[in-house]
Amino acid sequence: MATPRTKKTKSDDTSAAATSAAPATAETATDAATVPAATPASTSTETTSGAAAEFPIPVKAETPSATPSATPVPTPSAAAAPAKKKVEVLRQPAEVKYAEELVYLSSIDTGKRPFSWKLSPRMIRTFILGSTPADKIERPIAQKFFGDPALVERAIVTLASDRGLLLIGDPGTGKSWLAELLAAAICGSSTHTVQGTAGTTEDQLKYSWNVALVIAKGQSRESLIPSPIMIAMQQAALGRIEELTRCTSDVQDALISILSEKYITIPELSGDNVVFARPGFNIIATANSRDRGVNDLSTALKRRFNFVTIPTVTNKKSEKEIVLFRTRELLTRNQFEVELPPALLDILLQTFADLRDAQAAASSDDQRLESSLSTAEQIGVLEDAVLHSQFFGQTALSAANVAKAVVGTVVRRIPEEVSILSKFWHSVVEKRAKEKKGEWDEYLEGGKQAMSLLK
Amino acid sequence: MERTPPSNIEALRALQEQMDAAVQAFATDQHPVSDLLQQMVSDVERAMQEPLEIIPVCHHSPSSALHVAKRLSERPPKVIFMELCEDLRGSLDGLRDCRLPVALQAFAQTADAFPKGWSPLSVVAPLSEFSAEFQAIAYALEHPGTELVFVDRAVDYVFQWMPQQEDELEKHLIKEEEHDQGTPKAPGEEDLSDVPDHGAAIGLQMGNVEPTFDVFLGFLLKNARVRHFTEWWDQYVEQAVLAADYATYRYVLSLVGSLLRRLGRKDTDRENDLRRERYMWTRMKEHLKKTGIAPSDAIYLCGAVHAVSDVPEFGTRTDAVWEIPKRTPTKWLYGLVPSSYIAIEHQFHHPAGTVAIAETTWEKGIEALGVRPWKLGKTKSSAATSATKTKGKPAIVPATPPASGTADTARVLGFFTKPPLLHAADEEQLLKWSVDIVTLARDNGYLTSTADAIAIYQTSILLANLRNRQHPSPYDFEDAAITCLEKDRQVRKRNVPKLCQLLLGGNRTGKVGFSALPPLAQDVYTRLKPLGINLEATTIQRALIDFKKDPHLLPCSDLLWMLHYLTQGHPVLRPIMGERKLGHVPVQESWDVSIGKYQESIIRLGYEGVNVEFVVEKRLKTESFGPNAKTVTALKAAEDSILFLKSTRLTEELGDRAVDLLRNEMSAQDAPKIVERVRRLVHYYRATPSGLPKWLKDFVATGYSHYSMLLPKGFEDRGTRPAEVASMLCFVFDFEPQALALGCQRSQLEIAIRQAGPVTNDPAKIGLLWASELLLKLRDIDSIRAFLDQTLDNPLMLPVFPEYVSGFLLALAFAPVMGRVVVELLSKAFAKLPEEILYPWLPGLLLSLRPYAEDLLPRLLKDVNGLFPKDTKALGKWQPPWDKKASEAATPASASSTPGANPEVTPAQDTKAAVTPEEQAVMTLLQSAPVTAQSLAALLSA
Repeated sequence: MATPRTKKTKSDDTSAAATSAAPATAETATDAATVPAATPASTSTETTSGAAAEFPIPVKAETPSATPSATPVPTPSAAAAPAKKKVEVLRQPAEVKYAEELVYLSSIDTGKRPFSWKLSPRMIRTFILGSTPADKIERPIAQKFFGDPALVERAIVTLASDRGLLLIGDPGTGKSWLAELLAAAICGSSTHTVQGTAGTTEDQLKYSWNVALVIAKGQSRESLIPSPIMIAMQQAALGRIEELTRCTSDVQDALISILSEKYITIPELSGDNVVFARPGFNIIATANSRDRGVNDLSTALKRRFNFVTIPTVTNKKSEKEIVLFRTRELLTRNQFEVELPPALLDILLQTFADLRDAQAAASSDDQRLESSLSTAEQIGVLEDAVLHSQFFGQTALSAANVAKAVVGTVVRRIPEEVSILSKFWHSVVEKRAKEKKGEWDEYLEGGKQAMSLLK
Repeated sequence: MERTPPSNIEALRALQEQMDAAVQAFATDQHPVSDLLQQMVSDVERAMQEPLEIIPVCHHSPSSALHVAKRLSERPPKVIFMELCEDLRGSLDGLRDCRLPVALQAFAQTADAFPKGWSPLSVVAPLSEFSAEFQAIAYALEHPGTELVFVDRAVDYVFQWMPQQEDELEKHLIKEEEHDQGTPKAPGEEDLSDVPDHGAAIGLQMGNVEPTFDVFLGFLLKNARVRHFTEWWDQYVEQAVLAADYATYRYVLSLVGSLLRRLGRKDTDRENDLRRERYMWTRMKEHLKKTGIAPSDAIYLCGAVHAVSDVPEFGTRTDAVWEIPKRTPTKWLYGLVPSSYIAIEHQFHHPAGTVAIAETTWEKGIEALGVRPWKLGKTKSSAATSATKTKGKPAIVPATPPASGTADTARVLGFFTKPPLLHAADEEQLLKWSVDIVTLARDNGYLTSTADAIAIYQTSILLANLRNRQHPSPYDFEDAAITCLEKDRQVRKRNVPKLCQLLLGGNRTGKVGFSALPPLAQDVYTRLKPLGINLEATTIQRALIDFKKDPHLLPCSDLLWMLHYLTQGHPVLRPIMGERKLGHVPVQESWDVSIGKYQESIIRLGYEGVNVEFVVEKRLKTESFGPNAKTVTALKAAEDSILFLKSTRLTEELGDRAVDLLRNEMSAQDAPKIVERVRRLVHYYRATPSGLPKWLKDFVATGYSHYSMLLPKGFEDRGTRPAEVASMLCFVFDFEPQALALGCQRSQLEIAIRQAGPVTNDPAKIGLLWASELLLKLRDIDSIRAFLDQTLDNPLMLPVFPEYVSGFLLALAFAPVMGRVVVELLSKAFAKLPEEILYPWLPGLLLSLRPYAEDLLPRLLKDVNGLFPKDTKALGKWQPPWDKKASEAATPASASSTPGANPEVTPAQDTKAAVTPEEQAVMTLLQSAPVTAQSLAALLSA
């Protein structure tokens, strides 16, 4: 993407469905201090595995060797400890961001909680999908995931059952965001995460060794570095695996025994060589449906996962909601307020809807854009446009800027995609501009200009 | 009025208090809300106090059906009023013989009173066994003492009260897609092309309560956390009132009806509702007055929304009636058509599986509550319908539980909102489903095991808990099954949602019984009986007919061909082997017949006439006498009439029409098709003893002079394609002998060709023109050859050479003698044309040769065989005859002895190669009389 975007964490980038009504900034020390031990805000264990370490949450990262390996349960003191060291972070994980809400929901929750869940399934649903008057909850809970409620319900229920949850969908549909919300609501920590890549090894799913300690003291529980999954097992938490299908098949299959026997053996140790999962442990994995066929899941693994497919949002109304809320949220983080003219938003949504139609009608891959045209991309476009007009323009967001951002975001391969987009622009957008006039004209011109500069 | 005891009023008051309390607690601005509640309460009160017993119902609601069934056995009324179009009442009598679901249909082929685009107009009202309306209908039909009156507006008003715009009907049928957007489309939705649906009909259902106001609906669904209205209804109303007592049922439904009426309807719908309610009350009062039945002896079945109506005509206590507007003069036809669950769901935009789920609930309810549903006794014979009604009655009465017993049950049940009876049944059902779906999925290619059954069972219960339900609903079960079984891709044709629907009852297709069929369909059934196939079966039936063995099956075959013609490619009938052509005598035929499955298509024909022959005749006539009729359509109709009807009179009529049309048709566009048909017809009639009929003779004569007249214009007009001109010439030359015999003059043609000469510019047409001039002896071959050779020599004219050739090729169709010329031209073209002209022309050449593949190409090949050498040896010495002829003209003595050469050159040949004395003598004789020799040569060459 040829646009000045800040590097964001994966889930932020793709969570199309995220909005926040809760105060996102400045989680004060007092806030955290009031949190009782059982509430989700008290994450005491930071993971050490490479992938998960990218979450800079404001908690003290204890070295794994210092963690009592048998009982790494957070104690009240441990919960209060991180609050003293208040560091501002770019992006807080869901359990920190919505700490207040989670505490509140937990306090009014009367439902039956499976295993050691922090909330009952019904409350989790309320947390993710927002409250309605019918719930008779005094404090309004904002909707955090936009999509089919049945889908969320199925995901929650799966986690309460014996099987793992595999969220599958196109890029930018909010898989990771839903996984994070679920983990935050169920066990109060969403950071036991392994990012699946082509280079992920079995060690990263199970455990590895601190080589210096092994040399000094030999193999023992002390010199063992548990993976985020193993930590989750010990803490009765949810382990997350992002992009499971990016991992090679042998690494994927390491999950089979974790999911069925629910323990990990450590054959290198002579005694105490099995780590058992405590009740409440489960795995949420995400997979990209565009990766289908690269590393297909084995039948044995498929059987142990319940698949929940997250569709792309095509409903204009809810898409508008998502884009609007999400962009506002991102902009508040940059600490400036910009008015988003509804006309421009409509133009953007219309363009993407038209692009999707064109994409679907295209007969060969040569006529298609690489971009998935998801809601997340629209958010990206708006953010780009706003940032651009803030720093290089006349602060007010103009149609031309949006058009430039669209071109910049959608075009990946030059020159093929420029010509595809140009064709689209000169037929569809031009037609719309003729019909509707107004902002569309400026938009049309802006796009043309941007494309001519790309060539 | 023993059925409104004071305790009910008390209950209502308690309810009102509770509601007020709720208002106090939650509303920010309580006035509008409490006003609304006030109105709702008074709505219900008004409905309850009406002496005419109003039973509010909901469509496809098993609880409505159960309560209506129970109520009717407790308190037999003298008359039942129902919210269904009053003019549909007539078709009910055939219902006895049908397998549900079927639909009552009203149909109008054309309607001048409405916008043109609307026709044909069709309205269907599907009936299923577990609907309140069917229970009432069954009761009334089995109890002659009870009158059944439909009181809703006649079908005509359905259309009359719509905005009279062209696209309105379409809009109505499609319904805005916005409506469906919230609900995820089941990926495996049944392909509708495969099942009989209602076509483009407007659906009516009794007790339609679904809110049409989107904002309200969206709010309701969001807050109730359900996906669609039917699910909401099932969870919040259906399950609650299923086992409740009758009074509670009425209160709850009225209350819900009032809520939906006040908040859930769009303004336009509300307006329509009001009109309908005024209509219904007016009709009811009229009926009561006429028959003198007391209001308390009547029952009024209507949608919950209408039960709480507030129109001035409401209630038997007022005398207000509405002046009903006039119907349009549209002629409506009524009948029964088969329906299916899928068709019903599709028609009313219910999510897939709704009807099957309703059926499951109904069966569960019957079993658990001990209600005996009303069923229609079968007629023993269609003739004795009325007799059976009265005679059959005693046999049916024992089936109904005694009224007092039911009342007891009802009272007892009133104490439980959820009887334990139902719970056990539910549990059993869920277990069975979980096990069955796994088996079903395995059969469909999913790798499933018992572990999955356990997981589904567990997940269903978890989901039900999450969704605040006491027991997993079928929707929960479906979700659970999808979660546990559906992986990243669907294995075979069916996916898990589809399998769940199959499991929960699947689709069921109704069948209209014989006696309820229109006369045409009955006739079809009777006449196809000799075929010995099962016409009732829903599977495809293969009929094999051997006419040698069973000549008596010929009429069946005739009928099948007629039906095939009428249904026009509909899968109801498919000829596998056999054809119907002019002059063809069938030997064997085989047919795929699925009348059982697509009964509707046959029934629909019944609206057009009383028997198939009549309908065919009508169709043929509309086809050829319509405003857009062309000669070719009329000819086709005439041909079809020979094929199907064997009525000389009709064929004559259609043929005369074709002649008329031809006389007025000023373009040659259809000429190719016309020539083809006329040729076929002439061939056919020649073989008959009577010879050509008068109309065909007329047609030929008219065609000859008509096309002769059109020729010059055809040659000149750039819009007329060469192929069309060729067809005209074809007609003229082909039928010349007949035409001349009928008094046409050849001079007309000659004049036309002469006129065409100066105006023709198109090379292809020039080719055609010369060919016809050649036939008419207006031009000789040498001048053509000279011109074309010149063309080949001139590089500027070279590119148009192929077009000339195309023209001559087209001429082959009417002048087979041109074969040699064509071969010569083609050879020259291949020899001399440069590649850049030749290659692009080749595909077009092949295409223009293709139509002649059957009759002309063999002749052309014969000519080729005659002209070209037989083996490679001869090739070396070979010289094309045309070159030879050219050199011959210069030096007549240098001709070689090519076999099969032009007879014209034979004398010259003899001069050179004569060896025998006999030949010598002949030669001398010929030479001595040159005039005779030349005329002989001319004769031989002709």
